[in-house]
Amino acid sequence: MTIHLESTINGRSVGINVDPTLTLLEVLRENLFLIGTKEGCGVGECGTCVVLLDGTPVTSCLVLAGDADGRDVETVEGLAPDGELNEVQQAFVKSGAFQCGFCTPAMVLSATALLRRNSSPNEEEMKQALGGILCRCGAYPKILEAIIAATGEGA
Amino acid sequence: MTTYVGSRVPRVDSVDKVTGHAIYGVDVALPGMLHGAVVRSPYPHARIVAIDTSAAEKAPGVKAVVTGKDFPHLFGAAIKDQPFLAIDRVRYVGDPVVAVAATSEREAQYARDLVRVEYEQLPAITDMRLALADDAPLVHPDMHTYERGGHEIIPHTNCNTLYRYQRGDVEAAFAEADLVVEGEYSAHAVSHVALEVHVAVAQYDQFSGDYTLWVTTDRPFFLRDDLAGGLGVDGSKVRLKVAQVGGSFGAKGVPIAEAIAAVLARNTDGRPVKVELTREECLIASQLRVPAIMKLKTGVNKDGFMIARSADVLWDSGAYTAYTVGVAIRGSQTIVGPYRIPNLRILSRQVYTNKAITGSYRGYGTTQVTWACESQMDEIARELGIDPVEFRLQNGYEEGDSYLNGQIMHGVGLRETIETARDEIGWGSVDRAPAPHLRRGKGIATMIKPTMTPSSSNVVINLGEDARVQVVCAAPEIGSGQDTVLAQMAADAVGVPLDDVSVPATDTALTPYNGPVASSRTTYHMGNAIVSAGNEIKGKILELAGKTFGVDPDYLEMRDGEIFDGEGELLVTLKNLLARYHGEGLSLTAGGRYTSAQSQLLKANPGEEWISSIFWMLCTQAAEIEVDTETGVIRVIKVAASADVGKAINPLTCEQQIEGGVVMGLSNGILEDFKISNGRIENGTLADYKVATIQDMPEIVPILVESVHNEAPFGAKGIGEPAAAATPPAIANALFDAVGIRITDLPITPEKVLAALSEKKEAEPGD
Ligand code: FES
Ligand code: FES
Repeated sequence: MTIHLESTINGRSVGINVDPTLTLLEVLRENLFLIGTKEGCGVGECGTCVVLLDGTPVTSCLVLAGDADGRDVETVEGLAPDGELNEVQQAFVKSGAFQCGFCTPAMVLSATALLRRNSSPNEEEMKQALGGILCRCGAYPKILEAIIAATGEGA
Repeated sequence: MTTYVGSRVPRVDSVDKVTGHAIYGVDVALPGMLHGAVVRSPYPHARIVAIDTSAAEKAPGVKAVVTGKDFPHLFGAAIKDQPFLAIDRVRYVGDPVVAVAATSEREAQYARDLVRVEYEQLPAITDMRLALADDAPLVHPDMHTYERGGHEIIPHTNCNTLYRYQRGDVEAAFAEADLVVEGEYSAHAVSHVALEVHVAVAQYDQFSGDYTLWVTTDRPFFLRDDLAGGLGVDGSKVRLKVAQVGGSFGAKGVPIAEAIAAVLARNTDGRPVKVELTREECLIASQLRVPAIMKLKTGVNKDGFMIARSADVLWDSGAYTAYTVGVAIRGSQTIVGPYRIPNLRILSRQVYTNKAITGSYRGYGTTQVTWACESQMDEIARELGIDPVEFRLQNGYEEGDSYLNGQIMHGVGLRETIETARDEIGWGSVDRAPAPHLRRGKGIATMIKPTMTPSSSNVVINLGEDARVQVVCAAPEIGSGQDTVLAQMAADAVGVPLDDVSVPATDTALTPYNGPVASSRTTYHMGNAIVSAGNEIKGKILELAGKTFGVDPDYLEMRDGEIFDGEGELLVTLKNLLARYHGEGLSLTAGGRYTSAQSQLLKANPGEEWISSIFWMLCTQAAEIEVDTETGVIRVIKVAASADVGKAINPLTCEQQIEGGVVMGLSNGILEDFKISNGRIENGTLADYKVATIQDMPEIVPILVESVHNEAPFGAKGIGEPAAAATPPAIANALFDAVGIRITDLPITPEKVLAALSEKKEAEPGD
């Protein structure tokens, strides 16, 4: 049995038949080959699988694919559509806000969503927005520095 | 003069990583790829009576079912004690027993659950303190028959490593000492929690008998040899291609997913097999830090000079030794700390238990012994009434001091790390009562670590006719910025723009031998190899330019892709020079090799040279904390972390390592806590095993001390491991400063803090 999904993924409408028991993470990675979204646990505890669903960060390993029907999904691949890094990505590069990079897509997406919602968050708000994503490399200080820089405050 | 070395250039892997384009082990997919799943032991110790795989074999999509009988070979770094799949007995909860490959992950998991294993439970040893008792059940009754290296064991016991070191007369010195301080400290098992799980894809060629694996590892050649050992083939039959590594910290060096993928691939008619562990499997059945119980006794005279120390260290390797033997030996030496102590005695024993495997963990034993050493340093200083900073400075190693084995130490910036950390934290001033129930304190801790010695690195540098440079070497990027640092050194050594340098992925069939990307050794060792090969290429180019323009090459210089004459005038760009030879094509190649084995710096007392280190890592941290006396919760406010890096090839990546180390040290020290009962890890999830998030992060001030090392490439040493070690004792010492309690067993949990506070209150009711 399959279900049909009609979603907007990174700005493009996508129609696809999928097994209804699959998660959004599985569909993104395995059916659509958007492998920038990572799986660190598969059970909602690490945050590496974050994507934006209608602009809000969600852990895609906990979202059933069917729940993305008719909605807008944004993955890290959508942030630099023409090869131009977005402001958060640029700031991540400049500050060196990653090490192994495994958490980076989730961090960049969550930070981007935060800054769209609130162009001048304070440090507490930044930490809260990223509090659900683990970075075992401990890139946190430089991630914070990058987000501050992306708000224009860091200049 | 350098163009790139020493500068804060953005990492060369930046765009790949911020765009999600980097390909990790978990992203590897091949045509026809199958998926594996593993049946694991539910018992800490049991005999396998029977295995029935018939139902699993008939399940949908199943292509292979493999048991330990199919691969009766043992592997291991120091003791060959481990099979890929349990052969006749299981030795820990999670020990792999049967592997299944099917066309999808779900089918593999379904079939796995159909496998029936009949066990006969055996008495288990799950407490390292009991492992040496006369009646302790033996985890490996046949240990004495295993192939092993030259280290000592105690046959017919659980003791898989015995090491002793002695210098001077410890008992006489204790008798003479004005103060003797004794204590017992323990460091717990913690998980690496690399965010990328253990994963591998393996393929077997029936015709050549070759295995090819796509892996995510920090030590390709060691892993290759372990794989060959467990498969029962020669190392030349195993080829590893290394993808981006989503974190390692020492975890990704032994065959875990790799072993399962390889044994399955042997039985699938050439179809590749992917094995990806679940997070729970990673937590309970991959590898942990070696737990240690450390009895430490130190004698000092009243002027604050340390005169004697004895250490009795017990390590728990878990069910198999993996990389733990080196931890138990090298780690126990480091319990002396970075201090001159004339009389020493060390006894180190490591035991098998029926618990998860342990092994190398960022610091290779240093984090455990630093906990004991630096906690006790603080106790001594306080009992003597000496400032803990002064006490460390007074006893600490300086350039030219001799190490345990008489090696004259070079590149020792310890003093400066202590002084800079002290100054940054504002030592001596503390706001003790921001609120009645909140108390603040400051603490300091330092550390020393040797690097793996001797070891070697090899590189091939190729300059193509397009003027691009490839640095061909087996040094996988594990997140530490290694590719960037190697590229920077290559750009300067050859004299080309950094943008024209690439570091291709490791492939053991193409990249020359390198020791592991471990022990913080890569910058130093591979850097030296790169400098040598790069200079050779530069020499060849200048020769070509000299010949082309009829000038003496000795007067020419190349920097950043431009060739200058003796007057410093631009003669020709590298690209234009090479364009002249476009018709015939030109590709210049040079090999570079560095081994520390021949270095004069390693000279030591005869027979003790193996204890020498080609360089020393030194890092001091000062922490300020706030403790809530009602809840016992510690908030780390600030950590000043000062590391002697020799020379920062890239200050940005050095800071990353220091900051990341502090975050990991904090997390290990106050948050991470396995609940283990009868050998079984009860909290194998990231919801229950807490790892630091950005909300736990203190203010971290990384400080780079540069005590240039003469034999190092541009003066650079290593920085990957040291920062994680000093954080927990710095926090513990700050806790003592704040409220006068000392926690000696890690982790420092709120429950322990509250218990110690109430105990203290009872002891001094008037306080
Ligand atoms: S993979 Fe979704 S939260 Fe870990
Ligand atoms: S950069 Fe490695 S987990 Fe965040």
